[in-house]
Amino acid sequence: MSTARFDELIHAPTRLAIVSLLAAAQWADFKYIRDELGLSDSNLSKQLSTLESAGYVEIRKRFVGKRPRTSASLSNTGRQAFDQHVAALQRIIARSQQGANGGQAAEAGRSILGR
Amino acid sequence: MGDTQQSQPAGTGATAAEAAAELAEIQRRQDQVIKAVLVPVWYWWVFAAAIVAIGAARDSHVLVVQAITIPLAVLVMVVLIVATIPTWRRRVQVNSATQPDGRAAAAIIGMIVLVDGVTISTVISLAANHVPHPVTIGCAAGAAVLVITGPLVNRYLRRLMLSQARQQRNDAPQAGVSAP
Repeated sequence: MSTARFDELIHAPTRLAIVSLLAAAQWADFKYIRDELGLSDSNLSKQLSTLESAGYVEIRKRFVGKRPRTSASLSNTGRQAFDQHVAALQRIIARSQQGANGGQAAEAGRSILGR
Repeated sequence: MGDTQQSQPAGTGATAAEAAAELAEIQRRQDQVIKAVLVPVWYWWVFAAAIVAIGAARDSHVLVVQAITIPLAVLVMVVLIVATIPTWRRRVQVNSATQPDGRAAAAIIGMIVLVDGVTISTVISLAANHVPHPVTIGCAAGAAVLVITGPLVNRYLRRLMLSQARQQRNDAPQAGVSAP
């Protein structure tokens, strides 16, 4: 079991989109990620390099016939970080809802005492 | 609600509204991958056309038409079936935890049995009543069942995979928020 941990690296919108896509996949082609997210080659390369440096993503290069093909997948570290990030997001929402309920209860208490 | 959305837990760098938006984005991307691995609607129409072509060729009783149409239609069906094998999906491979389980297999087998059952029973009953072109009509009936049930099975698989993905996400993490 892992703990909830907010991850600033994953939090960035483009990287969140990439990691979310890869979290649902075993692997995905570079072109698939680029097309689905509407990114440029250079932007996607840059973001994947950042994620690879953090150990979150594994890049695989292979040849299909004579054509090079690049695919990416989430590493175990990346998958764990993603799960922890999702848990952190859920926790933030749960706390916010608890706060809202607490606020309503406090307001109700104040209105009763005020009578 | 507005007030609660602005509350920002210490060390997290996100408000509740941002967290909700991020979770929605994650859900959307997951849906995108699942959609990419499921067969498109045209798949069922092409498959149905191949079935009808076989039936019509059989009823034509013209050897040349049969010799060309039936192998061609079978080839189309084989290509369509092979294209659904996960390893042939070159662009993206769905996460193993999200892949369809026994319920999905049961739905697909059920659909095949239904299509075959409708086709064969229609052909037999029409032939018994000496109705002209029984195989064409029977295959058309089976094809109609396929184009109706195919997208329904697709929708069921999508829902199943999404719920498995959601369950997997909910099962994984535990405990409280900590700063990176």
